[in-house]
Amino acid sequence: MWVFVIFCLLVGLVLGFQLPVLLPLVYTKYMSIAVLAALDSVFGGIRAYMEESFDNVIFISGFFVNMLLAAGLAYMGDRLGVELYLAAVIVFGVRLFNNLGIIRRYLLKKH
Amino acid sequence: MKNKSAQISIALVCLVMGVLLAIQFKATENYQTDLIPERIDELTQKLNTVTQQRDALEEEVLSLRDKLINVRETDKAMKDLQDELQKVQMAAGTIPVEGPGVAVSLDDSTISIQPGDNANYSIIHDTDLLILVNELKASGAEAIAINGERITAMSEIRCAGTLILVNWTKIGPPFVIEAIGDPDMLQSGLMLNGGHLNTLKFLGLQTSVQKMENIKLQAYSGPMKITYAIPSQYQEKAE
Repeated sequence: MWVFVIFCLLVGLVLGFQLPVLLPLVYTKYMSIAVLAALDSVFGGIRAYMEESFDNVIFISGFFVNMLLAAGLAYMGDRLGVELYLAAVIVFGVRLFNNLGIIRRYLLKKH
Repeated sequence: MKNKSAQISIALVCLVMGVLLAIQFKATENYQTDLIPERIDELTQKLNTVTQQRDALEEEVLSLRDKLINVRETDKAMKDLQDELQKVQMAAGTIPVEGPGVAVSLDDSTISIQPGDNANYSIIHDTDLLILVNELKASGAEAIAINGERITAMSEIRCAGTLILVNWTKIGPPFVIEAIGDPDMLQSGLMLNGGHLNTLKFLGLQTSVQKMENIKLQAYSGPMKITYAIPSQYQEKAE
């Protein structure tokens, strides 16, 4: 199963590198936040999968909504002059590490 | 089944995330990572201000070039004006001048007045000076001073009791009239037979004419009041 997931990730990476799309410089900041949110969602999903409380709808919707919300909030913050993206970075970063920690513990327990 | 769908959705999400990651990688690789947006804003602002400054400087350069052209053009005019001004000032006697010329010394007669003699004949009068100055001018004198009082375009020479007024300054004998010009011309002009100096000599007054290699004449330093005269012809010419 994990091989398949990693394979999909690699396919996505290759696809993204091959796409003739160059993100305008001003949007890289929002994109980075969105990527961070996506990472958080994925690891959240993996954790839920390990906890066997995985919900497809929650996962998919969480992935996209979190991503868009994070980027959107960062954008809003820039327009308002508040560095909201920092909040997103902190929240997603903390959650990311939480999820990773839990995943690690599950993996340790498993083996 | 649940596991399967979970895996598929995780895999799909990973696919999307892979694309996003790749795009982000590409973007950050393309734009150097140290160019964070704040820095970019700062640089953009700097660029804007520098561009504005450059535009302003360009305008300044243009205006300065115009000015330079004007100055170059007016420089000639200024030089002409300066020359003209100097000439006029010399003629008017408002700047000190020097050059070759003659010095005419005059003093009252030493002959004691006999009863019945007219005392007027034994002293220098304002008219004597006036006539001599006139003769010097006629002989080509370019600058004249009597006892150091420069004769200007508006100088008067007139009697004031026992003294003579030149430029409203009282002067008395002995008189020295200094004139700048061709010394020979001036001397011969003064020494002409029937000239006024001759007459004065004849009357027994002490006169002498001396050629000078270099005479320094002071400028007239008093006020020059011109109230009623306004240039008319000149203005028309200037236009």
